[in-house]
Amino acid sequence: MKRILIDAEKCMGCKNCSIACAHARRPSGSLYDIALSDPETESRNTILLDGKKQYKPLFCRHCARPSCANSCMSGAMVKDAKTGHVWYDRHKCAQCFMCVMNCPFGVLKPDRATGKYVVKCDFCKDRGSEPECVKNCPTKAIHVKEVD
Amino acid sequence: MKHVIIGAGAAGITAAKVIRENRKDDEIVIISTDDAVYSRCMLHKFIGGSRNVAELSFIPPNFFEENNIRWRSNKTVTGVNIKEKRIVFNCGKCGKQSNESYDRLLLATGSQSFFPPIEGLRPGPAVCTLRDLSDAKKIRMKADNAKNIVIIGAGLVGLDAAYGLVEMGKTPTIVEMGQHILSANLDPRAAMTYQAKFEEAGCRFIFGNRVKSIEFDDFGTSGTIVFESGDKLPTDLLIVAAGVSPAIGLLKSSGIPYNRGVIVNEYLATEAEYVYAAGDITGLSESWPSAISQGEIAALNMCGIKSVYDDILERQNTVNFFDIPSLSVGRLNPEPGDVVHIREDQQRYQKVITQNNISVGVTLQGDISRSGFWQYLIKHKIPINNAQESLWKTSFADSYELDANGEYKWAK
Amino acid sequence: MTQRFSCTTCQSADKPLERFVADLPLETSFHRVESQEVKCGFGLQGVCCRLCANGPCRITPDSPKGVCGASADTIVARNFLRAVAAGSGCYIHVVEGTARNLKKTAKSKGRLVGLKALDRLCAMLGIEGADAHEKAEKVADAVLTDIYKPLFEKMELTQKMAYQPRYKLWDKLGILPGGAKSEVFSGVVKSSTNLNSDPVDMLLHALRLGISTGLYGLTLTNLLNDVMLGEPEIRLAPVGLRVINPDYINIMVTGHQHSLIAGLQSRLTSESAIKMANDVGAKGFKIVGCTCVGQDLQVRGSLCTGFFDGHAGNNFTSEVILATGAIDAVLTEFNCTLPGIEPICDALLIKQICIDPVAKKANAQVMNIASPEDEDAILKEITAAYKARRGNVPLNLLPNHGNDNTLTGVSETSLKAFLGDTWQPLIELIASGQIKGLAAVVGCSNLMGAGHDVLSVELTKELIAKDILVLTAGCSSGGIENCGLMSPEAAELAGPKLKAVCEKLGIPPVLNFGPCLAIGRLEIVATEIAEALNIDIPQLPLVLSAPQWLEEQALADGAFGLALGLPLHLGLPPFVTGSPVAVQVLTSDMKSLTGGHVLINGDAAESATMLEEIILQKRKDLNLP
Repeated sequence: MKRILIDAEKCMGCKNCSIACAHARRPSGSLYDIALSDPETESRNTILLDGKKQYKPLFCRHCARPSCANSCMSGAMVKDAKTGHVWYDRHKCAQCFMCVMNCPFGVLKPDRATGKYVVKCDFCKDRGSEPECVKNCPTKAIHVKEVD
Repeated sequence: MKHVIIGAGAAGITAAKVIRENRKDDEIVIISTDDAVYSRCMLHKFIGGSRNVAELSFIPPNFFEENNIRWRSNKTVTGVNIKEKRIVFNCGKCGKQSNESYDRLLLATGSQSFFPPIEGLRPGPAVCTLRDLSDAKKIRMKADNAKNIVIIGAGLVGLDAAYGLVEMGKTPTIVEMGQHILSANLDPRAAMTYQAKFEEAGCRFIFGNRVKSIEFDDFGTSGTIVFESGDKLPTDLLIVAAGVSPAIGLLKSSGIPYNRGVIVNEYLATEAEYVYAAGDITGLSESWPSAISQGEIAALNMCGIKSVYDDILERQNTVNFFDIPSLSVGRLNPEPGDVVHIREDQQRYQKVITQNNISVGVTLQGDISRSGFWQYLIKHKIPINNAQESLWKTSFADSYELDANGEYKWAK
Repeated sequence: MTQRFSCTTCQSADKPLERFVADLPLETSFHRVESQEVKCGFGLQGVCCRLCANGPCRITPDSPKGVCGASADTIVARNFLRAVAAGSGCYIHVVEGTARNLKKTAKSKGRLVGLKALDRLCAMLGIEGADAHEKAEKVADAVLTDIYKPLFEKMELTQKMAYQPRYKLWDKLGILPGGAKSEVFSGVVKSSTNLNSDPVDMLLHALRLGISTGLYGLTLTNLLNDVMLGEPEIRLAPVGLRVINPDYINIMVTGHQHSLIAGLQSRLTSESAIKMANDVGAKGFKIVGCTCVGQDLQVRGSLCTGFFDGHAGNNFTSEVILATGAIDAVLTEFNCTLPGIEPICDALLIKQICIDPVAKKANAQVMNIASPEDEDAILKEITAAYKARRGNVPLNLLPNHGNDNTLTGVSETSLKAFLGDTWQPLIELIASGQIKGLAAVVGCSNLMGAGHDVLSVELTKELIAKDILVLTAGCSSGGIENCGLMSPEAAELAGPKLKAVCEKLGIPPVLNFGPCLAIGRLEIVATEIAEALNIDIPQLPLVLSAPQWLEEQALADGAFGLALGLPLHLGLPPFVTGSPVAVQVLTSDMKSLTGGHVLINGDAAESATMLEEIILQKRKDLNLP
């Protein structure tokens, strides 16, 4: 499967990945006109800081054994046997947020604006190209690779 | 080889899927009382009217065909003959008894509602539980004209029913023996948030007053609840949500040993040869993720792939009423020697209980964003990393590692 | 262990304040730190360039130059120069306004409180006049003429103000400033798109800005204010949130331009004002000191009795002071006026009045303050706010915060007078080693690192424990005083030798010169001591630290320190570490130019040790024990 690999040491904390991710969900517009303080402008990824203030990029891994999908009781979160990715269908989601609780790395969250769906990486599958976060990382701290 | 699975819930469906993934040509039969596959945790959405039956499903519509699974719905298994490797069932429609042979059998019947021993409390036209889709249908139908809806039990199931009813525009009264709602799910502070919201929506709570008896009229359509205090409460729809127990009725004369639930070993095999169990019937855990995981492990063993069930079982649940999400893992309330850390404002409440710097309980309400790591920390008894200046800054960052495939792993 | 939400970064050196903030029902800067914690590394290193449409360009191993070809060195130096120019512009605005106020006062034969100060200033600048008003007008004109000069005309007062060895060196280095406003202008032009690309030239320009900022923006602003408002006198005064008296109509001031409210403040104790207050149920009007203008009121506190009870807190304390609910109006004329006060003012019905539009807050009413009628109009607005809000807004006071005996009123003149009109006693204490050296702990507070005022306070404690006498100016004063280090009892925290000195003289081990503007007073102290010893300033066992520098103005102050040849300690780097050249020049090569250099360390103990080593080396070079 394809996975976004992370080289945390290259991360500069610029949040380009986050703004690119938020932008990737918009039907039109550009980075110039994205409403950055709008709660709808939400990124799937984020950057954590460890105790030494080192940047630790937090991106959905589309895990081999996805705890999110295994805790989903509505069928909204499903591991795709073909691509290996974990897809999320907000229309099926019952807002139980068991996936949020069960993601061992704390990647998932309810959306900020409505609290009615889960903010989850979709690998930019509908854009037909590399994930926007990867395209927009200035230091190549993230890149897509085929893994087992 | 023929695999027979009793129950079309989370464990049964998962097992069927996993068997198919590993055994392309084996025969798979699912037998269930239910005539629909649905998630029990969403039944309140059916009562409330926000979902229809199809929308309660947690599997794709063509699941059975695609996986070549024979589903025998509307059939209630009444017995297991382990010598002949046969199960006996009643047809729900015609009532006719029939049977099905197996090479491997999975018991995944889940659990059933528990009727507390209250004088006069028995099934009847005005009495419901909330476990199956049929229960939800009955509640939805009866509630339309009911004037005095009473729910016994303010646990998650009782409040699910209440929430569905509120969405229907009803204002049930909830009777709880304890002192606060959701006592198995939240601490009193977090529970109070929801209680206030339910009250705002018109619901009434009666705490700490034990029901002595229930007197129904001759038709069983309305009655009076009599409390030990002497207070009385009329009801024309009584929903009993006093708890559940593993659905082991079918094992009564089977010779398969059980206590509260059916006894299984680490491979989820019962003491009867070729018979496995997964989900609530094992009594190991009542959570959805455990049912999925047990279904998967049992299925692998049924396929001859030795797999050990080694989930770390820790009490955990989420609650989401009135768009206020909560989650709790581990201890709800501190034990002697524990340290309690709390922070809160109008919208949010967070509590972490630690013992020797290891988190043993977490309750989050209002904001549960990116908080999944707590569950992992608690299950794996990972100490709070002191590199951060505050416990609230705890995250995966201080144990951040990646494996060769780019998956995260918790650094030792 | 219950705490309010989002306050995991509320740490303050001032623990009662920290707890108070943690329980506030209002959001403050403290609450916002956490959500801004992940900083962009390009920004931190100063290698993000937004000067043209090809940008923003960032420097990485794969993209070592901007589209235009600018290197990290060029990008960093441009960004740095822009910041220093802006910071200098701020201080030049302050001295310009102050000089214009002095001129106006002189022309209208208004009250000049500090006549001795006027005479000293005239002597220094070589100005003569028939009477005080003529002298004052000439002084003001001399300052204004200088700062309005073009770039290619050197300012004339520089030579009169500066210590001569320094002046000669600056001349030799070619960094004598032209007109102060033109220097700002030129710095902005130079650092614009595709103009200057020479990092060293731009860093030297920062030094020119440092000199004009220091001598004009800082030193002269104090001296002009001394003429109009009167001179500081050493005394003990209360500080902290305790100074807020809810029985009065309270006006919190923020800014740097004390002379703007000279008329208003004297009006507050007039019969008519007191009647106005009494009519709405208040005992009178009080100014509650906040930020540097509050410090300026405090150092001149002996002349402000009746309407000023003390300094409540510094820049990041301002939101908290408002949150007490006992402030009825904010009077704003400059920074540090945080945007964060706006929602608090809205929530607590606090009137926002701006008397200098450079600090216009979104919801503030701009009110000119040119005449007594204007002052009346302002008092009416404030009285109306008091009437509308008191009783409707809950009070949340912290009456035990701070202390009652902070030593204040320290200036180059009052300190010298205290020592017997000579620096000799201080020089002897330094020479004998009773005082190991002097450290000026100046600048702001920021909320990075360990938290609000933490490094300033901890560093100060470390320094006094090493028998180093600390002198403060700026928001650092506000934090350090609220933590009690400027009370005579703080002598207990000093090393044995400094403690003995403090006990003998009845002074604390930290001397509070007041606002950041008073960095100019510290420069005079340094100059006069150097003069007395016939050595240059860099030879003095004196170090400068802006441990919690916050803003562009602080960078301009820092450039002044470097021009003076002082070792300059900073807790955080000034967004330059992406440039090897800038780092080399600032931390090392500067020593061979001016004698100064930058050292960066965020740890109090380590920083104190580094500064002590510098002081010990300077003592050794002077053959002092």
